[in-house]
Amino acid sequence: MQDWIKRLLPFISLIVLSALIPVCEYTILGNDPKFLTPGNLAAIARQTAVITIMAMGMTMVMVSGGIDLSVGSIVGLSGVLGAMSMTHGAPALAGFLICLLAGAAAGLLNGAATTTLKIPAFIVTLGAMGIYRGLALYISDGNAVVGLPESAGYLAEMNFFGFVPLLLLIVLVIAVVVHFLLSSTQLGRYCYAMGSNLEAARYAGISVSRYQILYYIILGALSGLAGAIDTSRTVTGQPNAGEGYELNVIAAVVIGGGSLSGGQGSVIGTIIGSLIMGVLANGGNLLQISPFIQRIVIGSVIVLAVTFDEFQRRRVERLRTQT
Amino acid sequence: MADSNSSALEMRRITKSFAGNTVLADVDLTAHGGEVLALVGENGAGKSTLMKILAGVHRPDSGEVLIDSRKVRFTRPADALAAGIAMIYQELSLAPHLSVAENIFLGREPLKFSRIGYIDRRKLNERAKNLLDQYRFKINPRERAGRLSAADRQLVEITRAIVEAKSVIVMDEPTSSLTTHEVGELFQLIRHLKERGLAIIYISHRLEELSEIADRLIILRDGRVVFTGAWGEIDTNQIIRHMAGRELKEIFPRRNSRIGEVKLRVNNLSRPPKFEGVSFEARAGEVVGLAGLAGAGRTEVVESIFGVQPPKTGEIELDGRNIAFSPPSWSVLNGLALLTEDRKRTGLCLNLSMATNITLANVHALKRGWRVRRKIETNAARRYIQQLNIKPSSPGQIIGRFSGGNQQKSLLARWLFAHSRVFLLDEPTRGVDVAARAEIYREINDLAESGAAIVMVSSDLPELLGMADRILVMRRGKLVAELNARETSQEEILKYAAVEDQ
Repeated sequence: MQDWIKRLLPFISLIVLSALIPVCEYTILGNDPKFLTPGNLAAIARQTAVITIMAMGMTMVMVSGGIDLSVGSIVGLSGVLGAMSMTHGAPALAGFLICLLAGAAAGLLNGAATTTLKIPAFIVTLGAMGIYRGLALYISDGNAVVGLPESAGYLAEMNFFGFVPLLLLIVLVIAVVVHFLLSSTQLGRYCYAMGSNLEAARYAGISVSRYQILYYIILGALSGLAGAIDTSRTVTGQPNAGEGYELNVIAAVVIGGGSLSGGQGSVIGTIIGSLIMGVLANGGNLLQISPFIQRIVIGSVIVLAVTFDEFQRRRVERLRTQT
Repeated sequence: MADSNSSALEMRRITKSFAGNTVLADVDLTAHGGEVLALVGENGAGKSTLMKILAGVHRPDSGEVLIDSRKVRFTRPADALAAGIAMIYQELSLAPHLSVAENIFLGREPLKFSRIGYIDRRKLNERAKNLLDQYRFKINPRERAGRLSAADRQLVEITRAIVEAKSVIVMDEPTSSLTTHEVGELFQLIRHLKERGLAIIYISHRLEELSEIADRLIILRDGRVVFTGAWGEIDTNQIIRHMAGRELKEIFPRRNSRIGEVKLRVNNLSRPPKFEGVSFEARAGEVVGLAGLAGAGRTEVVESIFGVQPPKTGEIELDGRNIAFSPPSWSVLNGLALLTEDRKRTGLCLNLSMATNITLANVHALKRGWRVRRKIETNAARRYIQQLNIKPSSPGQIIGRFSGGNQQKSLLARWLFAHSRVFLLDEPTRGVDVAARAEIYREINDLAESGAAIVMVSSDLPELLGMADRILVMRRGKLVAELNARETSQEEILKYAAVEDQ
């Protein structure tokens, strides 16, 4: 199989899905297709925004060879902290800023712990996942933080021209920035080099720890932003917010062509990966498929994506050994 | 002595192509029992493919393989193994978490209650110990393979292959990580295997080494046999000419460099237990050789100078400035380069492009504002492709698909692009074919002539004698001799490197 097929496969799958769902709607249910209406598309954008934003940061961390399982807990912790600051009189914008900073701080801790303790990121962030969730529950006493100002809802709900959600614009801006960082800056160049061979990067004189920590901070900050969005959506600080997000976020990266062993992945791929999952969920609802079945489908898609990636990798490996 | 008239192995008119590229064309190879057949050729000549066909890893497009005059067809590696063909690959393939003994008998463990597959550990270790003792390898069979040195791992690999081999044993660069002393032991062992009537196919780039043990010679070039005959029928120069398809007048070109001021001074550098009290200096225009057996601490010394493994005590002065205890990023900024011993582990980003690999130590130079400009990168890569004759010559190619020589040239280019002025070269020609070696030597000379200082670690003594001005010898973590390369000899270097205080 050719390289371009691998690169285009997620995109093709997305197009096929988007064509298939309205057709099914019409033929199976006999309804007028709702899938492609602006209202529904805006809903997909809103639903996938949180996962997509976090997946941008996760792309960076995973390309560099790391992983962060604590992102879902960071959503909860930063959301609770932001909400509490608002109930103590901070304006909504300041509250959201606190979410962002709390997320960045959590990311800094994750990065610093992996690089200084020299323990696999998987283990460190598995522990951090419990720690941050526990903190969120402890400081909120396990209850939702309520009594936020009305303006806290704007972030999630605001639209431009009546139907373009503010969230969509935020996603686009972040995507453009992260894409630029990964594809045309020193930071991105080192990211791919470290993911490809961390030792080689170190021997080439790259301060690998410093950069690794930076990637975790960016991911943490984006998870904090996701926490702000979830807080805004419910106008409460939920200590359980973001539970299970880590799996969807990692799945988005992997479905989009990112590699669990580092060195591969792209912003565009990740966006498509996230959209595929969003479209599957949305289409499943439109087609009245049980949400339990949907979970089975999404799980299978993840396994398929990784299998495909693995086959590609082995093919390259074979090429390499032919001398 | 086995009946050496009957050939143990015959490969007839083997042809193989990958994706339209003919890698092997009508190759005939015969190996007799009780002899060593030297298989030589540049990287990419088809040696590895030929041996992988023999091992059942690849299937030939046409041609046949005969063992003891019987036609065989291998569809998977297990078939070749069952036919008594054992391989020692260049890349080590031991399971690091298993013990030496478990590795040697992997898949053939002695069992106690055979039905439930209970392994008789005592017997396993005993047998392994007997084997290792018999071959005089000083390795503890209970040690975990991952904790062994590269050389010891290689010896375990060889032991395992011998256990497996019944008719043919293929050794692909078996000495690349061995010391001179261990090479001697290995040759002793090969002679013993010959007496047992095995056919040995020995692949190596080191012609000096082959002349000690080879009985016959087969040379491949571009997938074809260009010479086959008894060893000694043609001399070294002719062999090289056959391999390269052209005459290489001098492998070690002459150098006209003016030796100038001290660029690098190392004073009393220690990192026990690896090395202690190491002091030397390298001047502009000078090539300083660092000789010694594997494990003598040479790699550790250069890694400490570069900063990847900080020293415990001591001083390192680069252009008069103390840089001890500073990280590699600092060394690189100050013009220090380390070409590492193990390019796959510590050198290359295998799945990235050649251009990216070349520019990795100086990404800064590609920037305009925040942006890394691909165009500057490509142009830089093109310059070095030309200068070092790197092939294939497209900067966007993934470097993992390059031959060892071209990978090594790309890594050298990385340090040229970083404007390094002091080069620490650790085994710069390991696993590199003759033509690429000559090009690397020429580049080293050019660097010296332009006023760079070069410290060259090498286990290849002719290379050190041919390239260095001075040769420092290390033994067990200490510098024991400084020799003038013009006046010394392999024997003298070896005496200092191997023999305890006389």
